[in-house]
Amino acid sequence: MLTLDLFVNAIVAGILLGGFLAAVSLGISIVFGYLDIVNIAHPAFVVLGSYAVYILNSTFGIDPLLAGIAMAAPFYLLGILIYRFYYAFFERHGAESLRGLVFFFGILFLVEVGLNITYGVDYRMVNAFYLGKSIEIGLVGIPYRLLIPFVAGVAMIFIVYLYLSKTFYGMAIQGVAQDSLAARLMGADPIKIKSVAFGMGMATASVAGALLIMISPIEPSMGREYIGRVFAIAVLGGMGSVVGTLVAAVLLGIAESLTSTFYSPSMAPAVSFGILLLVLAIRPSGIFGR
Amino acid sequence: MASLLEVHDLTKSFGGFSALNHIDLVVHRGERLGLIGPNGSGKTTLINCITGVLRPDRGRIYFDGEEITSLASFRIARAGIARSFQIPRPFRSMTVLENLCIPLRFAAAVKMRSTELEAAAREILELIGLGDKATASPLDLTQIEMRKMELSRALASRPRLLILDEVMAGLASSELDEMLAIFHILSGQGITIIMIEHILRAVMNFSQRLVVLDAGRKIADGSPGDVIKNPQVEKAYLGE
Repeated sequence: MLTLDLFVNAIVAGILLGGFLAAVSLGISIVFGYLDIVNIAHPAFVVLGSYAVYILNSTFGIDPLLAGIAMAAPFYLLGILIYRFYYAFFERHGAESLRGLVFFFGILFLVEVGLNITYGVDYRMVNAFYLGKSIEIGLVGIPYRLLIPFVAGVAMIFIVYLYLSKTFYGMAIQGVAQDSLAARLMGADPIKIKSVAFGMGMATASVAGALLIMISPIEPSMGREYIGRVFAIAVLGGMGSVVGTLVAAVLLGIAESLTSTFYSPSMAPAVSFGILLLVLAIRPSGIFGR
Repeated sequence: MASLLEVHDLTKSFGGFSALNHIDLVVHRGERLGLIGPNGSGKTTLINCITGVLRPDRGRIYFDGEEITSLASFRIARAGIARSFQIPRPFRSMTVLENLCIPLRFAAAVKMRSTELEAAAREILELIGLGDKATASPLDLTQIEMRKMELSRALASRPRLLILDEVMAGLASSELDEMLAIFHILSGQGITIIMIEHILRAVMNFSQRLVVLDAGRKIADGSPGDVIKNPQVEKAYLGE
């Protein structure tokens, strides 16, 4: 029964990993999927969120998840500032594609270098009473440091899904994404609406940062490992589909977990991108793409 | 009659192509104005300049006494100018009703709770005869229903000036009459209307005054009966 045991554990670990990956990718889904902004710096912002959580946890002893949620508000404001800057210097001149990408690449390095100078390259971690514990269900042992990020990640996806599809402002974001000109001619200010959406994407980075540092210790350049995966998940799920992001993230999580368990961890990214290429060949708009 | 919209010396070129050439135009409050001209004569460019989609090279535009020449398009919409598109552009992910809520909230700046917003949207749909399609997806609408949705959405901005850009293209004759009846009701409510149309029967029936553009110039402006007999207009439409 050893293989069954391994198999079930790998599947469960994959699902848990998927919930966390969805949280990290959510900001890309919103900003890339709705605003067409290639925010390649998003994983760096997630790491920035981790450091904010680390400081609140190590200095004041605040619970890491609560710290991540509390930091969502300043991250939201930071997102609005960054979008306004990006709009004024790039988007307004129609220079969004390549120069915009360079802009976010630059921000990625600024964040990394800033964290390096301030905190050094040492690994940092958080403390909470539950992080070392786990629960046993039959064959499977579920550590809380994976379970909580999974639950929090799925909850965050659900809240953003409700906001985008049920509230008026969420619909307005969709409207601007689908037809910016028509929305403008109906009196909607696209810059204001896009600012809100970008701010929301940034706010999710703070929560995702809390989940990241719960799962493993962090160092400043860790975001790089996620750049490929988060874009793969956003595209695989279908541009602008929040539910698709969750499904794609769980799919990738399971695939990576199975590959790591039965083959080799170093092959895991190759399997992820193999799935992406396969899905795009069959369904170019992604699993839930319109 | 006092003027609602005044366009002075409006000029716009794209590269070497001069799309609008020193256009002057006055639209009076409550008027029904027909705007005709051959394809490429500048009608849609003129509308794009008025609604802030394009910035004119020179000239000024006044709406209700205020200059709107270089205002952002969403501010012009909020000031009270609404338009429909030649090709309907619904928000695909929303229902018909939700499509109306966007202009109601933003352009008409109606601060309401969502139930009141829905009621206001429903009222417009009933008026246009689309009440039973409120919860449908725009993708399931027929051609005329789609046109009606575009019109409803323009009305949801609570405009004082409504610009109809070829809203009747491709409709059957009976549908044409149905749409014209709706436009007369709207006009009766005091909305000023500019109708761009190729279907001469519709535009002659509807307009109190007719303006003709040809190659970016205004070549006629007067009562429909006089304008249609104008030899320059005949030449523009039928050639030499």
